[in-house]
Amino acid sequence: MQQVNSAAARPASVPLLTRLGLDARLVFMILAILGIWVAFHLLTGNIFLTARNLWNLSVQTASVGVMVSGMVLIIVMRNIDLSIGSVLGFTGMSMAVLGTVVFPQNTWWAALLTLAIGLALGALVGVIQGTWIASLGVPSFIVTLGGLLIFRGGAWLLTGGQTVAPLSDTFQILGGGLGGSIGGPWSWAVGGALTVLIVLAELRNYQQRARRGLPNRPVGLQLLITGATALTIFGFVTVMNSYDDPRTNLPRGIPVPVLIMLVVTAFMMWLVRATRFGRYVFAYGGNPEAARLAGINTKRLTIMVFALMGMLAALAGAIQTARLNAGTNSTGTLAELSVIAAAVIGGTSLSGGSGSIPGAFLGAVLMASLINGMLLLDLPSAWQNVVQGLVLMLAVSLDVVVQRRRSK
Amino acid sequence: MSMANISGATPSAASLNSETRIPLIQTRGLSKSFGGVQALSDVSVELYPGEVLGLLGHNGAGKSTLIKMLSGAYTSDSGQILIGGQEVALGSPRAAQQLGIETIYQNLALADNLDVPANIFLGRELLRGGVLDEDTMEFEARQVLERLKVRVPDLKKPVFNLSGGQRQCIAISRAIYFKARILIMDEPTAALGPQETAQVNELIGSLRAEGVGIFLISHDLHDVFDLADRITVMKNGRVVGSALTSQISQDEVLEMIIAGKLPPTRVGQPG
Amino acid sequence: MKRLGKLMTAVLGLSMLTAPALAQKPVVVGVSWSNFQEERWKTDEAAIKAQLAKLGATYLSADAQSSNEKQLSDIESLVTRGATVLIVLAQDSEAILPAIAKAKADGIPVVSYDRLIEDPSAFYLSFDNKEVGRLQAKMVLAAKPRGNYAFIKGGPTDPNAQLLYDGQLEVLAAAIKSGAIKNVGNQFTEGWKPEVAQTNMEQILTANENKIDAVVASNDGTAGGAVAALASVGLAGKVPVSGQDADKAALNRIARGQQTGTVWKDSRALGSEAAKIAVQLAGGAKLASVAGSSTFNGGPKKVTVNSILLKPVVITKSNLGVLIAAKWATKAEICKGVTGTAVAACK
Repeated sequence: MQQVNSAAARPASVPLLTRLGLDARLVFMILAILGIWVAFHLLTGNIFLTARNLWNLSVQTASVGVMVSGMVLIIVMRNIDLSIGSVLGFTGMSMAVLGTVVFPQNTWWAALLTLAIGLALGALVGVIQGTWIASLGVPSFIVTLGGLLIFRGGAWLLTGGQTVAPLSDTFQILGGGLGGSIGGPWSWAVGGALTVLIVLAELRNYQQRARRGLPNRPVGLQLLITGATALTIFGFVTVMNSYDDPRTNLPRGIPVPVLIMLVVTAFMMWLVRATRFGRYVFAYGGNPEAARLAGINTKRLTIMVFALMGMLAALAGAIQTARLNAGTNSTGTLAELSVIAAAVIGGTSLSGGSGSIPGAFLGAVLMASLINGMLLLDLPSAWQNVVQGLVLMLAVSLDVVVQRRRSK
Repeated sequence: MSMANISGATPSAASLNSETRIPLIQTRGLSKSFGGVQALSDVSVELYPGEVLGLLGHNGAGKSTLIKMLSGAYTSDSGQILIGGQEVALGSPRAAQQLGIETIYQNLALADNLDVPANIFLGRELLRGGVLDEDTMEFEARQVLERLKVRVPDLKKPVFNLSGGQRQCIAISRAIYFKARILIMDEPTAALGPQETAQVNELIGSLRAEGVGIFLISHDLHDVFDLADRITVMKNGRVVGSALTSQISQDEVLEMIIAGKLPPTRVGQPG
Repeated sequence: MKRLGKLMTAVLGLSMLTAPALAQKPVVVGVSWSNFQEERWKTDEAAIKAQLAKLGATYLSADAQSSNEKQLSDIESLVTRGATVLIVLAQDSEAILPAIAKAKADGIPVVSYDRLIEDPSAFYLSFDNKEVGRLQAKMVLAAKPRGNYAFIKGGPTDPNAQLLYDGQLEVLAAAIKSGAIKNVGNQFTEGWKPEVAQTNMEQILTANENKIDAVVASNDGTAGGAVAALASVGLAGKVPVSGQDADKAALNRIARGQQTGTVWKDSRALGSEAAKIAVQLAGGAKLASVAGSSTFNGGPKKVTVNSILLKPVVITKSNLGVLIAAKWATKAEICKGVTGTAVAACK
């Protein structure tokens, strides 16, 4: 894939991965995450890798996981969005007010309407900031720094700082609480359907390329990759189904916020790989002048990317608010930094033009794993901050070193 | 009309029988002034299929103004542009592209982080059911590169892995894929080493064989003599004169550029 | 407001010139807020103003917007504008000291409001934060005298968070020593953020396989996070949880049985007390002679200051009505979603 240009790092040292058409960075990140998991499992006395903790971990990743793919596109386009934590708080608070005052009914339509208005609000915020950046040429750093202050203040002003609670049971489903997962049978259905879809898509792709004489992966390797994917899905569903609901002792299954995160990630990967929109985002990031000469409407593109980011921040706001079962004016404070860190750890270059959605997703998983494990160890929060900071710097330094060696 | 004697009567290299052939593109009496400064006055040039026309002259001679008019970036104050014998209006770069005129920019207008097919199809991606048709684009890219004898090791790698010459070739292939009949190349080899220059020059040869007409702007007189079938020299916004490269020496051309008039030996001499 | 204040000072000044018989200098109280963006200070301000109006004093104010530097110049400008006594809500208890020294040199008395300023020339007025911690522990201890205790502490950079935890442990020390109570997890809550408290609680639950019998949460926001975490494993309402601040959302949780209780610090009482003290000090009263004053030396530097520490009130299901009577919250806000007659205030 063209967008993960840092992936083919140093063909000299990792010729195997490149030859196999695998993304070296993703492989490395997966190994790093697995390493961290095993280490925590041993340190915590066999608690970390229990179904229950992995289930928790998945829910704890959801909020950042939903936003990080949007941030990848923003950074790829040589922009930054510092406002998302505040937008999350502002839209979350708006939805809490909508859900408790305007549509307090415990019904599907009330919850969906609340969510829809919240998402629209997030998109609107994004359109305004994006237009400001694209049309007036003000750096995104400044515009979204303004947004950070404005929407944090806005979240406060909505209720004068009061916490708004509780939300309807239906809305709380978004948060993955007690009623917020889809249950065992549905989880198997989702996992099964996904596996079938992936196999069919890969088969079709393989045949098409073969028919046109385009190079394909060796059959054995392709089978191995497809098999590993299917096995991962199977393992994921098994884990999610091994944690029981205390009221019924039935499997909880995949939590709704995690499902949302996975759908968002898959959608964003598709957007980047299969649509003109995604192609243009990367083209602009690689060479803005070339994109303009190719007739791409770069202003509209910028506005769309910020609108998408705003909407994802609102979606994360819905998840956070539903999960906490309360709208609070501090929700999402500093979330922008976690999201930017996850994107950067996932290989998104701040100089633009390169970044990967799956990489950023893994970045989010990695950061959430660190916090989760350190909390199990009851490590003081000051040390947690130190470790997170070090991991961020290490990850980026590694990248810089690899890049430099490659360009030599 | 002494100049017309040379420029008008000079046959193109592609066809000795120029009277019967229609130029790909032709200008008649183009003039343009910017706030009282006459950038172009009464410029008439023509380009035939399969011909490489070297445009020469100092900075400010009017080359870039002419080029920008041909690529649709400027409009003229007076005069005509004809394509295939028909008068056309080149109101915008888009309009020029649609008429088959493509400009290859000196700064390599490629997105370095994208692969070869993505660059060739940038802004004009092929879709299938609303989504990018990667396979067809890769297939077509392969075809056009093979046809033009451009060799690229791995199409699916980002183009920053490629040499400057390869990238220039991709930019040119891109224009050709989209049916450009008239190419404007502004210093196409200025930033390239000798080997890469050779690569681009080879491609220009392939294009000539395909009947594409090329305006070649270059400072390197040597290069122009290697590639161009014909040269046109400009000075102070006017055409000094044109000649087949086979019939004029580099010294004579240099004199045209510096002095802004035809060498004495040539005045009044029939082409 | 500032304008009005200036105007009033001017008018008063003028009246002094025209009526030299009036010997008493008018009292002008300058209040320096650390950050007026927080909701609760609005309540405090209203109470201070109401009390000052009753006592015939003038109110001036400045908002430091969380900046130490701005607070220093705020205090200078309050004095310039004619303040004869200062009430200071310190942004930083150390960085404020130069301003206090300057006020002392100018002969202007200072009341350190809610947050301790460790300078003997400032009069400390606050709620007893350690006492808040004690009350939190007591309410949980009463509900669950033995078992595994989790502590959801406040923001790591807020000295109050440590004071609260100290108070909590003080009450529980005996039971911890005897083994009746086990401290199985205690985490600070970065920025007092409820979502952080929720994640912390989830991990404490996981690490202890749900064997948590009681949660001592340091305020209502973090209690909300802890309750959400308990709810997701079906333990909400089964495990006692403490709180602080009497947030409306928390009062509703108490009425619904998901939170044991909260500690109410009536900031209106604090505000009007501050106004009274300020007027006394402006009238020339010595720090030690302020009515009800005692000394306090529980700060980090153990400096002895004159102080009044107000007693906070414990609110549980049984006395929610107190808050309705005090117009702190409405019955509708507290009793939303409550059915049956288990809660007296909601009948």
